[in-house]
Amino acid sequence: MLKKFLDTILFTEIGQGLKLTLRHMFMKKVTSQYPREKLVLADGYRGFIAHRRYDDGVERCVGCDLCEAICPAKAIRVVSDIHPEVPDRRYAREYTLDFTRCIFCGFCVVACPVNALSMTKEFAHSSFTRNGLIYSKEQMLALGDRAGADSDAYLKVRNMWEAESSGKDEGHYHFPPISLGG
Amino acid sequence: MVKLTVNGKEVEVPGGTTILHAAAAAGFSIPTFCYNPRMDPAGSCRICAVELEDTKRTVMGCITQVSEGMKVLTESSKVHEARKTNLELLLLHHPLDCPVCDCGGECPLQNMSFSYGGSDSRFESHRNDEPEDMKSEVLVFNSNRCILCGKCVRICDEIQDVHAIGFINRGFDTVIGPPLGKKLDCEFCGDCMEVCPTGAITDRFVRYQFRPWQMERTETTCTSCSSGCRMVVDTENEAIVRISSKEGLGPNEGSICVVGRFGYSAVQSKSRLEIPHVKKAQRLVPTSWEEILPEISSRLSKIASTGPGRVAGLISSQLPLEDAFVFQRFMRQTLQSNFLDSEARQGLMNMAIPLVSATGSLRPLVDHEDILKADLIVVLGADPAVESNITGLAIKKAVRKNKAALYLVHGRDVSLSTRAREVIRLAPGYEAVFLRTLREILSSSAEDLSTEVKSRLERWGANPEAVLRLAKDMKSAKKTIFVTGRRFHRSNTGFEASSELIRLLAERNLLASDGSGLFVLPESGNDLGVLMMGGSSEWLPGLLDTKNSEQRSVWENHWNCKLPAGGGGLREIISGIESGEIRALISLGVDPLVFLPDTAHLKKILSKLELIVVADMFQGPLADMAHYLLPSASPFERSGHVVSAEGFVQPLAAAMAPWGNALTEGELVLRLATHMNQPLPFDNLAAVSSEIFRIFPDLRPSTRNAPYFQGKTGEILLATPRQQPPHKAERESVLSRVPAFLKQESLPLDEPKMGDPSKRGEDTFVLTLSKSINHAGTQTILDSNLMTIEGEGLLRVPRQWARKKKLKKGACVSVSTPHGRISLPIDPVAGMADGEVHFPFHFADARFMALFPGSFSFNAHSGAQSGQTIDVTVAPIV
Repeated sequence: MLKKFLDTILFTEIGQGLKLTLRHMFMKKVTSQYPREKLVLADGYRGFIAHRRYDDGVERCVGCDLCEAICPAKAIRVVSDIHPEVPDRRYAREYTLDFTRCIFCGFCVVACPVNALSMTKEFAHSSFTRNGLIYSKEQMLALGDRAGADSDAYLKVRNMWEAESSGKDEGHYHFPPISLGG
Repeated sequence: MVKLTVNGKEVEVPGGTTILHAAAAAGFSIPTFCYNPRMDPAGSCRICAVELEDTKRTVMGCITQVSEGMKVLTESSKVHEARKTNLELLLLHHPLDCPVCDCGGECPLQNMSFSYGGSDSRFESHRNDEPEDMKSEVLVFNSNRCILCGKCVRICDEIQDVHAIGFINRGFDTVIGPPLGKKLDCEFCGDCMEVCPTGAITDRFVRYQFRPWQMERTETTCTSCSSGCRMVVDTENEAIVRISSKEGLGPNEGSICVVGRFGYSAVQSKSRLEIPHVKKAQRLVPTSWEEILPEISSRLSKIASTGPGRVAGLISSQLPLEDAFVFQRFMRQTLQSNFLDSEARQGLMNMAIPLVSATGSLRPLVDHEDILKADLIVVLGADPAVESNITGLAIKKAVRKNKAALYLVHGRDVSLSTRAREVIRLAPGYEAVFLRTLREILSSSAEDLSTEVKSRLERWGANPEAVLRLAKDMKSAKKTIFVTGRRFHRSNTGFEASSELIRLLAERNLLASDGSGLFVLPESGNDLGVLMMGGSSEWLPGLLDTKNSEQRSVWENHWNCKLPAGGGGLREIISGIESGEIRALISLGVDPLVFLPDTAHLKKILSKLELIVVADMFQGPLADMAHYLLPSASPFERSGHVVSAEGFVQPLAAAMAPWGNALTEGELVLRLATHMNQPLPFDNLAAVSSEIFRIFPDLRPSTRNAPYFQGKTGEILLATPRQQPPHKAERESVLSRVPAFLKQESLPLDEPKMGDPSKRGEDTFVLTLSKSINHAGTQTILDSNLMTIEGEGLLRVPRQWARKKKLKKGACVSVSTPHGRISLPIDPVAGMADGEVHFPFHFADARFMALFPGSFSFNAHSGAQSGQTIDVTVAPIV
């Protein structure tokens, strides 16, 4: 009863508040001068989607259409075919991702059976036309080459690296050889 | 009847039924892999396990027969455990490459793993990594994905009766494939691919190009031959990706042949006509419908106004009922011309005219179900497995399952020959005299043949012993079915032979007794329908005689107009054009320059025409002469109804939008009539359908499905029967007309001069034009898929002759007649009669028409084209 009375007449609560304010006056500033200064993004950041390659430079995508099937925004279109150079290999002859429609949910990365897709930390792509944001496979591969470390980190932090690190070869689809001779 | 309970529900089924079918009758589904309702059960996949409540044991549903008081559980924990373990074992070596497998998304193994399988396996094992067999251009065999259910091997043995693939090796090493690791060489029906519950057999033409969930599926009817197969057209973005079927669908019950399954690339090739063309200064110039429709109609009205019978019309037999109905009404009512003919004039007319005058109907007396029950099947001048694949399957099944006696009257071995009790070899053109002799033999009570008859038969190349055996079997058989086809109809004496055959049937009382009769194999998808709709000069719709004023007045009253009486078929059209009486020709997909010999002479005649209007899918010789060339829709782009050889009226459904600016022929005719200010009273073709069904209630759609369909995890689904009009001809109405037909005098018969077997030298042969199993009509040579399978017309010669001349397959020979000479590559074939060679008629680019004499010959009675066989001399080119 007495404590409450003293708190009231001595403005203790106001003092506590001002103490916090005064402490912040001497702390480091948090405002970053974007775009001159860049934020440090977390590894699980869901930015623009990139195509990945195997270590030997072969593109991973097998054109299975699962990303197209799962995409809730219907942003992905895959046209698959036989690889012109390796006749037993399935690949995506055309692969377009419409980033004007993409909602960056990351479902496609989860659906991908060969870890061909991953999300990077790039987000500031802009264009004057809608077509400029419809990315082809080549553009997405270039993005993957540019941001390879980020895309690996995304898969690691999202628990999709297991197959690749386990050495079980599960994420790496190899195709049985074909016998063409008669 | 046996009473049992399935999941507590009581059900009564006949004894001998399996648990699988009893459960389907009770409304419960049991998943299967290796079971197919059309084949004998094998019990190899062990996935249809069910629990018996009394004994607490799991048994296989597909092979266990029901017994009295049985209590079956289809979904107990024990059953689930068994299925889960089975799936674990089936997936032991499975590569799990679903993302790149073409079966992914429609794979029963995938569906089953989703429903019953576990997420992990207790077994550590290697994944199979065998090479894929890509030796065949059509099918890819991937043994890694195979679960060895044996369905593909069994469908090839039991349904197709081709025996092209089998199990190779034993144990874990077992693979499915053609024998001895050779390249697959079969009929390429693709049924093995269709029934495969995994991606072990896939389609090479569309390998890796599709996903099942992206495609729209349209059920339609195939018009390539007269079988009337129901099939499913899978399209993506208005383009056909592939053609598949559905287990149990249609009279074909899910089987389709190579032409139906793979012959879809011509209709979406670059050679398709996209826009209308008009001839200006000797060249065809692209134009638009708006410009040329008024132009064509004003020119047509000008010509038609000079009198009746100035315009001739030709209609393709692949067009549906609606288009045929509209076209013939346009010709007869608007243009006042009865110069009208269909493709049936090339042969089928020889059979159709006597058949209609004897029975009053073009519908068959028997169908495939009757063939399956027959004791005796006599195939006259037909190769059913090639001409009408599904009829061939029915005959093969009748011989194998029902032990029916099969007699084959043909000049050479066909695929059915090995199943035949006797093959009676007969040189072409001898059918009529042979049938008259057979009638003589049957009517005499003597045990043996007289020496005169014997020597006569031997002169024609027929074995007298075989004929005698046939006569004996005919006397003892309860159900006899005669099957006639292309060779019989197209014979020079086709009309006489058909009349003889109907007389023979009537004399033997085969027209009256149920289950016996005649089964005619037309050549195109809607031959019968076009004739029923009045697509020839003989008949008005409903097969009413155009010459008979009383029958004509039926339609005159209905349409409230006067109908022309004269007119005629192809023969009269050509002579009419030559005499200048006919001044315009409308051709809907018929090109006489392809099937009539001596094109130079015919071109000269056709050039007399003031107006040639051609509606076709592709450019051809007649199209080059046309004043107006109009693009028409393919069977995949139109709706309508077609009549199959079994008499079923089945719908076509538009699976894709019309190619370019193509119009269906019916729509084109309706627009022309409107522009001529004499519109036909139909807004669209759907109105025509309902008009046809109103006037002819028996032409309302009918079909037959198998009693069972199969679901996504192979479960059996009971088909629901529905009310439909009869598809066969009525026996009573047939019998009422036959006596009048028999009273007509039988035609005088002469022995044919050509192809006389007794006057043959070593290098002289009779050349016949035959149908190849891999093609249909003359336009499939534009189809890249079918050309991959059979890309070159090979002259089939007897193997013994080729051996003697030391000729191998592909070697060129010169084929000559007094009229011309061409060189052709050969294919030595076993089992051909000495004096015969045949060439697939599809390959018109081989210019075989140059061998034929420079005059058109027609059967005197039916006006059907004759002279389709010729004596040739074959010599190796050195």
